[in-house]
Amino acid sequence: MSGGVDSSVAAAVLRDEGHEVVGCTLRLWGGESDSGCCSAADVDDARRVAQVLDVDHHVFNLADEFDKHVVDPYVTSHGRGETPNPCVECNRSIKFGALLARASRLGFETVATGHHARITSSHGGFQLRRGRDVAKDQSYVLGFLTAATLARVVLPIGTMTKLEVRTRAGALGLRTAAKPDSQEVCFIPRGRRDGFLASRTTLTPGNVLDRTSGALLGTVPAIELVTVGQRRGIGHGPDGEPRFVADVDVVTRTVLVGRRDDVRVSELDVDRGSVIWARSPFVDGAAVLVQTSAHGAASPATLRIFETTRLEFEHPVRPVAPGQLAVLYDPGDPDLVVGAATVARRVPTHS
Amino acid sequence: MGTSQLYFDHAATAPRRPEVLEAMQPFLSGTVGNPTGSHRAARAARRALDDAREEIAELTSSAPGAVVFTGGGTESCNLAVFGVAADRARRGHRARLVVSAIEHHAVLDAATRLERELLTVPADVVRLPVSTGGVVDLEAAAALCVDADLVSVMTANNEVGTVQPIPELGRLLGEVAPRAVFHTDAVAAAPWLDLGVEAAGADLVTICAHKLGGPVGIGALCFRREVALVPLVVGGGQERGRRGGTPDVAAAVGLAVALRLSSKERVDATSSTAARRDRLAALLVAADDSVRVTAPDSLRLPGTCHVTIEGISSEELVFLCDEAGLCASAASSCASGAATSSHVLEAMGVDVTSHASLRLSLGADTTDEEVTRAASVVLDAATRLRAGRA
Repeated sequence: MSGGVDSSVAAAVLRDEGHEVVGCTLRLWGGESDSGCCSAADVDDARRVAQVLDVDHHVFNLADEFDKHVVDPYVTSHGRGETPNPCVECNRSIKFGALLARASRLGFETVATGHHARITSSHGGFQLRRGRDVAKDQSYVLGFLTAATLARVVLPIGTMTKLEVRTRAGALGLRTAAKPDSQEVCFIPRGRRDGFLASRTTLTPGNVLDRTSGALLGTVPAIELVTVGQRRGIGHGPDGEPRFVADVDVVTRTVLVGRRDDVRVSELDVDRGSVIWARSPFVDGAAVLVQTSAHGAASPATLRIFETTRLEFEHPVRPVAPGQLAVLYDPGDPDLVVGAATVARRVPTHS
Repeated sequence: MGTSQLYFDHAATAPRRPEVLEAMQPFLSGTVGNPTGSHRAARAARRALDDAREEIAELTSSAPGAVVFTGGGTESCNLAVFGVAADRARRGHRARLVVSAIEHHAVLDAATRLERELLTVPADVVRLPVSTGGVVDLEAAAALCVDADLVSVMTANNEVGTVQPIPELGRLLGEVAPRAVFHTDAVAAAPWLDLGVEAAGADLVTICAHKLGGPVGIGALCFRREVALVPLVVGGGQERGRRGGTPDVAAAVGLAVALRLSSKERVDATSSTAARRDRLAALLVAADDSVRVTAPDSLRLPGTCHVTIEGISSEELVFLCDEAGLCASAASSCASGAATSSHVLEAMGVDVTSHASLRLSLGADTTDEEVTRAASVVLDAATRLRAGRA
């Protein structure tokens, strides 16, 4: 129970279905931010909702695990010039990792959350699907959950629209009914990512080069803060057109940029070790729909596995930063998640 | 659940005594004058307040009438620390504060605030180390307390129960820091120790009602001698200008009665409870190799049985104990309610990363049967957690 309306209603749904429900809020970060998701005020909201629903509520301190599995890797990843998604990592290692393990030790069968996604079962296995409310679908941030994990997860509000969720919360008299959704990373104060990283790792300036001509267009104060696809702070080329980041190389301290259309990619390499594939056996050449951001559209592609593991797109797409998650859906059943992988850096060839 | 509740968290708050409520009743309904006024209704209320005050002064060996009623133990500790530091600061003096590393946050956080902000001239704050047995190191104190303005060391620690050498420290300070104000947080100690003896040598003594079976929301800062303090709560000049606001007569009466009862029963309660505490510890240790009693060789409060258990999580242990009807606590908790790691155990050098810590605190009326059941709940929970699944 994050203190948001979705998890509030999720608890209510489960209670009404007659399950033995205990609500918990995670204390993950006590640092400077304490805003965004799961702040002290959010804990109070979650606790109050639980009281109103007559559900026992506990606060679990998983700050050490969070530091180790989410914050530290976030910093390290940026240090490598990647753009990690810490909320995805928190889902993987904390909410559906450490918490799931704890739940098991405490005698619980499943962990439920308020994510807008659905879990269905067929052929004896569990699958993840998009939530009914397309605009709010959160299957992306859960895309890496294995079938074994899905068997122990319940997503009670995935079949509801956001409006239905808020209406239900209002009917129950929950104070979170009108509470805005949290959009922010819980451990980084709003707008202070740069300062956060600066205090935890060395930031190095770099050169901005045009990827076609190799010309030096300018510099950036910190490469580790630059993201593939980024336009902000990159300026314009000599032709007066805006430039977008195509690649970040921390070793050579180089940021390669190009015009919007020039930086689009037809292929994305993914980190082989990160691949979760829901179906077996894996067929090289499987057709998939690829979503590379929480709210982006999915693009058709083919998944290839040979020396590298690669997504080959039917049409060029915007570039995706290494460290980001690519979630794969079934073209014949576009709500169905069939796999996920972490985008890897494709070393550019340039003149 | 099905089992009746096993309440082993007396150190967090003690069950409310019926005699306390009875004594408070007349002041909880009908017309109760504001003790600050000058008419007969006010005088009657004032009388009750001052009777309570005198009784508390006597029971804590404080100067007659030199007891300031506050909103609780935390406020009393804050008043002592902030009050003395601010008094020094307003005379243009940079305050030197010495606090033990195992103080309650009511003292530690106040000191830290003064170290960083709050005053235009930050205070110098020194933290006294403790032994692995959780007792303030007197040798270190002799060196670190030199020229201190305020020294604050608790009479007994609320988490692990270790009793501190307050009289010795008092004598020491007389030599190395003659102008120091010596404050002792006696909140945890008050139910069990004769403060006239065990807190002898301190200038200021903090107590609160709800650890004694009185109401929450009232405490006292007791003065053994005249001490210059800048008040925290101002407006109205009550409590000789040390704590503004209409005094809570009912609660003050409750505090006095609770302290009186506790003092009367102390001798018997102490020995029988200590025996039960030791039996509880023995049951746990005998049945499970991973259980260790904390500070076994130190003098500890009769009601506090603190153990560490290797290889499991405090939060999970407390959860399963709760499920079985046992109320006990892990270390401290933070504002959100989650368990935080214990600064007390850390100061004692206890490894908190791979151990659960559990405080089982008994009251004078905890029974032998409850002790047996509690031990069995804890052992069962620990076994289940180690097995990896419940």
